[in-house]
Amino acid sequence: MRKTQRLSKVGRKEQRTAYLCLIPAFIGLIFLTYVPLIEVFVISFFNWRGPTTPTWAGIENYVRLFTTDPYFKVSIKVTVIYSLLSVIGGLIYSLIIALLLNRKVPARGFFRALFYLPYVLPAAAVYIGWSWLYEPNFGLFNYILKLCGVQENVLFLNDSKMVLPSLALVAVWLSGNLIVIFLAGLQNVPRVYHEAAEMDGANAWQRFRHVTIPSMTPIIFYNLLMSLITNMQVVTPSMALTQGGPNKQTMFITYLMYRYAFKSNQIGYACAISFVFFIIIAIFTGIVFSTSKTWVYYEGGED
Amino acid sequence: MQKNSLFSSRKRRERITDTLCFVVLVLFACGAMLPIWWIFRSSLMTNAELYAFPPAFFPSKWLFSNYVETLEAYPFGQYLLNTATIIVPSVFGGTVTAVLCGYAFARLRFRGKKFLFTLCVGSMLLPGMVTLIPLYLMWTRIFGLTDSYLPLILPYFCGGGAFNIFLIRQFISSIPRELDEAATIDGAGPMRVLWSILMPAIRAAVIVVALFLFIQMWNDLLQQTIYIDSPEKFTIAIGISMLKSGLKSDFAKIMAATCMAFVPGVVIYLCGQKYFVEGIVMTGMKN
Repeated sequence: MRKTQRLSKVGRKEQRTAYLCLIPAFIGLIFLTYVPLIEVFVISFFNWRGPTTPTWAGIENYVRLFTTDPYFKVSIKVTVIYSLLSVIGGLIYSLIIALLLNRKVPARGFFRALFYLPYVLPAAAVYIGWSWLYEPNFGLFNYILKLCGVQENVLFLNDSKMVLPSLALVAVWLSGNLIVIFLAGLQNVPRVYHEAAEMDGANAWQRFRHVTIPSMTPIIFYNLLMSLITNMQVVTPSMALTQGGPNKQTMFITYLMYRYAFKSNQIGYACAISFVFFIIIAIFTGIVFSTSKTWVYYEGGED
Repeated sequence: MQKNSLFSSRKRRERITDTLCFVVLVLFACGAMLPIWWIFRSSLMTNAELYAFPPAFFPSKWLFSNYVETLEAYPFGQYLLNTATIIVPSVFGGTVTAVLCGYAFARLRFRGKKFLFTLCVGSMLLPGMVTLIPLYLMWTRIFGLTDSYLPLILPYFCGGGAFNIFLIRQFISSIPRELDEAATIDGAGPMRVLWSILMPAIRAAVIVVALFLFIQMWNDLLQQTIYIDSPEKFTIAIGISMLKSGLKSDFAKIMAATCMAFVPGVVIYLCGQKYFVEGIVMTGMKN
């Protein structure tokens, strides 16, 4: 307190500079994030079709959403399934690669760059490219399956049971950013922990289980949360490739919202979807946060 | 003596594990590269070769003429230019405003810092797709910006995203304060400190932020689709997603277009790669 008084003249100048630095970011936070969030909520109570003036609809949009909408329920289901598959697959894949890269291997920088590479390709092109790999008759994956003795052609993107795992595999392939973050985390695990465990006679698996994994939990938590939020918002494969099909299985929530808002001009209704979507993601985030207390270890934490 | 042999056996075991890990790593790497190779090799084939069974791993003749023919349906140069028109100012704006904001949070003292920081980091958890519709209404109905790049560019001049601000803040916090205090005593103002003392020290982080912003825009298809209408303004992403209906199932050409779309990202990544990894490692991603 006294310190700020003593520095008051310099301090005031510093404070003014700080606010100036923050102006652009906070214009963005207020007008491009928090206010639109409120707007979504407000608009969702209106009946607003394209160019007409909006009329008050009460909870009509929400009633329609949960009762008569032919897509909404399946949309939530496929979004959640896709997200779980890609998040879990992506975390396991990237943790394995990061662990391998963390050992003394030759040309480590080269491999790290190589695994990251898919992430810098434009997503739309990636899905178009993979659609050829998934082609039912002449695609790479059916060829590989044939080599493994599967005679039937798998339809991958045209099969309502296969489409979500197939797209999730692409998402796993794209998780290079998780690898880099995991690797950074692994390099921050203090060497003394490993040495101490080794002194106590712990074998490689025990060291992995009781030293590496616990020290990595904050990063696993971060990656889990961020990749969950990202994957729940999946929309590119539907837009570039599947258009919601086959059999509604890629009618992801964001894509459904896009269709209602921009294809059939039902703005109020699409906002109701947006808001429910916001709540769904908030619930998932809440679940991850509330379970984190039991499995995330912070260095220097009380317990 | 005994200790020595124990040590060497452990060493040998470690070497065997390292070799095994390397083999597994190479297998994974081949698996990860296979799709890219397959797309590339398909882009050089005749359609007859493409639909042969069993498929060939290498094209019999490298038909680069596929690329020339693809350019008719997929004006890559135009799309690349359009995409750059959006991405270059956005990356610039996003990086500059993220650095300013991150600097304020890391170094400057001001009232309400804790609250504002929470507000900022909290927005990381807000899914961007939720606010898509009100933002669209704002840009097109209030500002009248239809068929324009501005709705895609302007938001990046507003902070460049909470994650990037956070990253810059972490980075600046890791630099010893003595460095800028010395400059302050010599009479440098806060902006001077940021520009001549801190910027050189956080170069890696700035490049990471720029690359993240690039990837973010590069990957976006939905927003580009809703804001851009006329074909001459199409970006690489819109172009490629329209292509499939345009070229029917001429897969050699579709793959040629896909490969072309891959190139700019790869080039930019390879240029910034050194700083990029260094930047992420240095942030430590510690909370």
